[in-house]
Amino acid sequence: MPELPKRKVGLVSCSGEEISGGTITRLATLKVLETLRPEETVTICLPLFLAGGEGDRAFARFYPTIAIDGCEKRCAARGTEMYSAKPAVSIVVSELCPAGAEEQGTARRLNEAGMKAVNAVAEEIALHVDRLLGAPWDQSRGESAGDDPAAQVKAPGVATCSCGSGIPVKTLEIGGRQVEVLALPLIFDMFRQAAKPAVDETAAEMIETVRLYNRIPEGEEALWKLALGREYASYCAEVR
Amino acid sequence: MTRKALIVPCGGIGKTYGSVAREGAYIVTEDLRPKDTRLVPLALVVLGDEEVQQTLAGSSAIAIDGCKLACAAKVVASMGGTVAHAIQVLDVYRRHRDLKPAGIAELNKGGQELAQALADEVSGLVDGIAAEETNA
Repeated sequence: MPELPKRKVGLVSCSGEEISGGTITRLATLKVLETLRPEETVTICLPLFLAGGEGDRAFARFYPTIAIDGCEKRCAARGTEMYSAKPAVSIVVSELCPAGAEEQGTARRLNEAGMKAVNAVAEEIALHVDRLLGAPWDQSRGESAGDDPAAQVKAPGVATCSCGSGIPVKTLEIGGRQVEVLALPLIFDMFRQAAKPAVDETAAEMIETVRLYNRIPEGEEALWKLALGREYASYCAEVR
Repeated sequence: MTRKALIVPCGGIGKTYGSVAREGAYIVTEDLRPKDTRLVPLALVVLGDEEVQQTLAGSSAIAIDGCKLACAAKVVASMGGTVAHAIQVLDVYRRHRDLKPAGIAELNKGGQELAQALADEVSGLVDGIAAEETNA
């Protein structure tokens, strides 16, 4: 059975190539992804928010995200918020490990102090990962869900670069509008392989899964159910 | 060369070719053509940084991408820059199949040599841009 993307923490580093702080963000992020929290984290290249598709831009709505910036310009934090959703946490290297020009080496080659900063930033990221995974997260709104257990999804999998993989989306016509519904292709696959028939009861059940990844505006639930039922029936007919 | 050519690597974080793109950009801007080039961080372009926007508007850019998504070329173009050349690391690798890159945080010897080969190609393109400027 296909698996819906499960809960991890998204890491977005600025990777700023001009300053040592940018290199520190990149290496610290890699250390968390590869060594400290490989099962719990995933990353995406910041430019993909602009160059990629809707699935890529959904990244921070899907995952609680930590933005890691080298300087006070906060390109990762601001870019993530601008194109996807507000990060749950913003870390700035120049604030966490203040240092004068070139004290940490150059952007191309960090020195020992720079590598120490990498470790410190990586530890800080890992702490936030643990904290975020210990709290519920509303994926549809990209923010803490308080105590709502429906918003919690368990973590699995391996460390992943999300470049180009994005979050699968499908466009539905709902109430006369074109709406991109996150994760719908996977949800359809999952329901069909569970032998769920294209009937009203299935649409009612499906909307609860869809709600985990999408914000359904107040008063539109019936319209969504109708659109989901119609599209799922068509999907089942196509793959039969 | 009156205006520096802008070298824009993709900023890729999770793949070896992204690291080759970045290292190649450093070799060009620091070792091979420091006077004729300027490294531009893609994150600043993504954000629409005002100074970077002005720089983009007045110069030719060489985008170096680590994967087919071509973030560097697409973002520079979408922010109003002129992409004089768009280089894919994979294409450079196809011309140098003996240089097998590995590693992300730290490139292996093959990766470093591939970055050098990439930088040599980019330097040639920088020279071409300079020659065009001179003849214009």
